[in-house]
Amino acid sequence: MSKLRAIIGYTLAALAVPLVLAVFMGQSFWMKELVAATGVKVSPWLTGGDVIRTISHDEYQISIHEQVFQGLLSEKKEGLVQVDWKPAKNLPDRIDEDIDYDGDGKNDFHIALDTKSNQAYVQSLQTGVIGLEKSYVLKDGQAVRVRIKNPRK
Amino acid sequence: MQGFLLGLASGTVCLAYCAPVLIPFILGEGKGIGRNYSLLARFLAGRLIGYLLFGLLAWAAGRLLIKNSIHQEIIFGLAYIILAVMMFYYGLSRPPEICAGKLMQKSGSRFLQRWPELLPVALGLATGLNLCPPFLLAFTGAADSASLVQSLLFFLAFFLGTSVYFLPMPLLGVFRRVAPLQTVGRMASVLMSLYYVYTGIIMLGGGIIGS
Amino acid sequence: MSVLEPEVNITPQKSRIPRAVFLTLPVLLLSGLMIFQGSIPKMGPDLIAKSITFLIFNVVFFLMMYTGKTYKYRATLFTIIAVCFSIGFISNLIAIRGSMAIDEAHMLAGETPFCHLVIPVILIPAALTRTIIFPGSLLTGFASIAGMMVLWLGATLALGRGWCSWVCFFGGFDEGFSRLRKKALIKKIDPRWNYLPWAVLIVIVLLSALLLTPVYCEWLCPFKTVTEFTKITSFKTLVQTVIFISLFLGLVVVLPLLTRRRIQCGLFCPFAAFQSIFNKINIFDIRVDQEKCKYCRKCVNECPTFSLNEECVKEGRALMSCTKCGKCVDDCPRGAVTYHIKGTPVKLQSDTARVLFLYPAYIFMTAIGGSMVVDALAKLIKLATTGSMI
Repeated sequence: MSKLRAIIGYTLAALAVPLVLAVFMGQSFWMKELVAATGVKVSPWLTGGDVIRTISHDEYQISIHEQVFQGLLSEKKEGLVQVDWKPAKNLPDRIDEDIDYDGDGKNDFHIALDTKSNQAYVQSLQTGVIGLEKSYVLKDGQAVRVRIKNPRK
Repeated sequence: MQGFLLGLASGTVCLAYCAPVLIPFILGEGKGIGRNYSLLARFLAGRLIGYLLFGLLAWAAGRLLIKNSIHQEIIFGLAYIILAVMMFYYGLSRPPEICAGKLMQKSGSRFLQRWPELLPVALGLATGLNLCPPFLLAFTGAADSASLVQSLLFFLAFFLGTSVYFLPMPLLGVFRRVAPLQTVGRMASVLMSLYYVYTGIIMLGGGIIGS
Repeated sequence: MSVLEPEVNITPQKSRIPRAVFLTLPVLLLSGLMIFQGSIPKMGPDLIAKSITFLIFNVVFFLMMYTGKTYKYRATLFTIIAVCFSIGFISNLIAIRGSMAIDEAHMLAGETPFCHLVIPVILIPAALTRTIIFPGSLLTGFASIAGMMVLWLGATLALGRGWCSWVCFFGGFDEGFSRLRKKALIKKIDPRWNYLPWAVLIVIVLLSALLLTPVYCEWLCPFKTVTEFTKITSFKTLVQTVIFISLFLGLVVVLPLLTRRRIQCGLFCPFAAFQSIFNKINIFDIRVDQEKCKYCRKCVNECPTFSLNEECVKEGRALMSCTKCGKCVDDCPRGAVTYHIKGTPVKLQSDTARVLFLYPAYIFMTAIGGSMVVDALAKLIKLATTGSMI
């Protein structure tokens, strides 16, 4: 029995080297397999969520992201919605826009954004909108995140 | 969720302080895993009753005393800060040897002598009503709840968080592991208290600006 | 005599060199492939940097095989890797962004490099929400999330907590400062501090799950001092900056200097506590031969990560926090402490377990550390010749 344990021990120890080599040689393969098997993506709280609608203006376009309410076990009572304006070089000095983020045909909030100073002001037009969370400068544009109430909670 | 996590963070302390008294009393001389789990279940039922009673009390306190106040953010902010500082001190200092289980053992209540099956339940109830800082923080969190159901759920979640550490008790040699668990629990309490101080300051700041 | 039975092993000095050369050959080949990646560059900083790196890594391994000692060679190389990592990382940031500070634009674009320290806190949210609470890229770019996870999984299976002494590109800072003084100024450390990493682990895992944000990265990681950090744009980010700089100075510089121990790695790092769990399933460990041990406590007093105490020495094994750095093995005056393969006899006096451990550990060290050393050396050569690293 002790000889069998020793043989197994040495075998597993020796297998550490091929394991390490397999990790490095097949890293890009294993990476894709890991993502495909787990189905994970980066948290929408950090990315703003997937873009669900784009609106094109003459020189720039607006991207409206999905509403984010994700919690650990269930949806949160409050969340956010992110709106982007791109590209940076074509943005006017000031943006005044009504945004309908849920696609129900009614404008949900009015945004006034100074693209030079990155100052933003949000005026709620529906009861589900709480207010501005923050405005951001993107790599090629600008974005605002607006706090909203979860209609399902 | 917050209740469950507060329970998980402070549950090792709950286990470590009462375990040296309760384990020999509840588990006796090892009458089999099934019997031990039956005793543990009754003990935890007593703890749950105690916690839910407190959940009810927390909701009532929140409703009657605080929610009517225009300064509720300031009150809750201050409460979090004070309790967090207490939890910080609690984690660093040598704890007093207060455990209701000991008192229960000594009192030899006639009621319990008549119905010995209720003794684990009574012990659970007594240990559940321990006013340690994590418990008081849970009280504050529950008092902030919008409804009675939410307050009860908060304490239920807190109970579940603390109870996780009791589950392996009938199986493992817990005595050996009590001292390290106690140390980890106290250190975790100190660290969690820093989070609650931060939360309290944010709430207090928000309340002061808002008023 | 088979490897399953104890044998007396006296190797004459003359025969050590051929043995050391023979054992170094696989590392020579693999390091050549990893460092040169199949092609020799033209004469210039790149070739010089790669050649020096190739030489360093192979000389170190040869010395480990020739002398039979592990710790001082590993620790020196480990520190070199950490310093080179920072030089390369910081200079790349300055070249791309002009600063070590990461701003929101890059975070929102998913360009934050993913590091292993955040792994414990992402697991529960990933399991329950199928999302990663880190502003990085899943598959693309430098230090992608999936890429680091694969490396971590492989290293963990092969080395357990050996990651902390053979792979972690931050640990070398702690190690380097702990080896600067000849004598410790603070010798007695309360053994209860050993439990702090577990407390930190519990709290950051719970809070990260509650808040769905990587709490350790935001508030507690001292190594932001030598990599990158959030731009200071508010009081909150200012407080976070003060905290991480204080932790770096305290836990990585001052306390290791004063105690000659790896304080950050042994008494604070929550990833270390998390990684310790995998030592339970790893095939390699450190054992103490009770017949040889005279309980002089040298290993207990010298262990950089507090992974030996009197109780466990009497039980014949290191604690689960052992990083397999080799110090106790090298320092033991009676040769009682050895690398060991689970299931095999402890009394075995062959070097087999050590060699079998060193190969996967050193391959990992070379694969990850080698590129960092090359990058830093190339930049330093460029600095010396042109006056600029970038």
